[in-house]
Amino acid sequence: MAAIEIKEVSKSYTLNRKESVLALKGISLTVADGEFVALLGPSGCGKSTLLHLVAALDEPSGGSILIDGKPPAVLRNQHRLGIAFQDHALLPWLSVSANLALPFKIAGRPVDTSRLNYLINLVGLQGFEQARPSQLSGGMRQRVAIARSLCLEPALLLLDEPFGALDAVTRRRMNIELQRIWQEGKLTTLMVTHSVDEALFLADRVAVMSGRPGSIIKIVDVPFERPRLRSEDFHKLADDLTALLEP
Amino acid sequence: MKKILAQLFLLAAWELIARSGVAGLTVPTPVSIAQIYLEPRFAALLYRSALTTAGSALLGLAIGILLGTATALISHTNAALRPGLDRLAVTVNAIPAIAIAPIFVLLVSRDFTPTLLSAIAVFFLIYVAVSSGLHTPSSRLLDMLTTFGAGKWQRLLYIELPSALPSFLGGLKISVTAAMIGAVVGEWFGAPTGLGIVILNTMQNFQIPLMWAAVLLVAAISLSGYGLAHLAEKRFS
Repeated sequence: MAAIEIKEVSKSYTLNRKESVLALKGISLTVADGEFVALLGPSGCGKSTLLHLVAALDEPSGGSILIDGKPPAVLRNQHRLGIAFQDHALLPWLSVSANLALPFKIAGRPVDTSRLNYLINLVGLQGFEQARPSQLSGGMRQRVAIARSLCLEPALLLLDEPFGALDAVTRRRMNIELQRIWQEGKLTTLMVTHSVDEALFLADRVAVMSGRPGSIIKIVDVPFERPRLRSEDFHKLADDLTALLEP
Repeated sequence: MKKILAQLFLLAAWELIARSGVAGLTVPTPVSIAQIYLEPRFAALLYRSALTTAGSALLGLAIGILLGTATALISHTNAALRPGLDRLAVTVNAIPAIAIAPIFVLLVSRDFTPTLLSAIAVFFLIYVAVSSGLHTPSSRLLDMLTTFGAGKWQRLLYIELPSALPSFLGGLKISVTAAMIGAVVGEWFGAPTGLGIVILNTMQNFQIPLMWAAVLLVAAISLSGYGLAHLAEKRFS
């Protein structure tokens, strides 16, 4: 398990010799060990950029990001990071089980078949072990991607709009499933989403971001007990947060 | 069935036109070409020559594939070398085979020139195919692998190489025919045997049916190679 400490992080991209654009400014956020935090904001507000910085896919221009007191790349190189993207990022030429075996191969560990079977059961894909991604529905591919992110029992789970490409009904069902999966073994999770409903349904805390430059305007503690239902209070809080997102 | 009928019709038309003599003396009838293949003396000559030419083309193909793939991999994994290698490949390809063959004849040998011309043509085609193939995977896939802690070589092994396979097989398809052209042209510069030599000698001696028989054999070998590469492409992508 791991705790994230983001301090005064900024990120700018140079457009050309003279101009640069500030994508993130003064971001400070801590995620405690075993906590589920959602980054909520409109598209283009820099929330995915922030997640990429935590995944060590990019370097912050200013400030620091520490995971358990060390730079994110350390955790990554120890193969203790799990990630799932909006587009499933499954290898199309590999079967479901071969895709799930990939993190083990990257880490140079023997493929743990009992873990694979456990994960396939966890995401409800029994019988599809030999299927190719193209033979699965969008929701099933996303389940494989989530199972893959959990393969190596990561210390930190990063979810980049994992259900963003799904239809509303499937998305709801996947939210319920993710809640169940997460409760089976709570692990530190940072999720990027633009859905208020999804953020409130899944997260312990929601960091609301606004764009240009991307910054956190409010951090909300979600008061509801798990397993969550979409109650009247839930909808009220959702409305409040939605109002915050209005430009 | 329709296809076979259409082809028989074309052959019959060819036979009639060639017999009538309207196309001149240099167009043989299909029957006279078929007779060449059935004549043991010529059949043996064509068989021996075809083995030599196909052997040169095959060896050239293998060398070209090896060099092209290796160069593409080096240029892909060393960003600093990429512009230079790109320019080298383009330059090598820009020199016409006809122009470079005399250099090879003096540099190595007449026997090996066909293989080298094949290899050069194939090298460029495979280099371009593999280079562009290695760049096809989406950045999402590469990001995913990086996040799981994969290094440069693991990304190459698990994502970039498999992604380059369809492009490589497409390149292989056109390489097969390019290798045959290289071998035949290479033989014109004084190779001891081969279909290119048969074509050249029969042209000079006005043995029209034998010349056509050799040309058709070159085409048949090229097409079978192309067909095999096509099957491989369908099987793997």
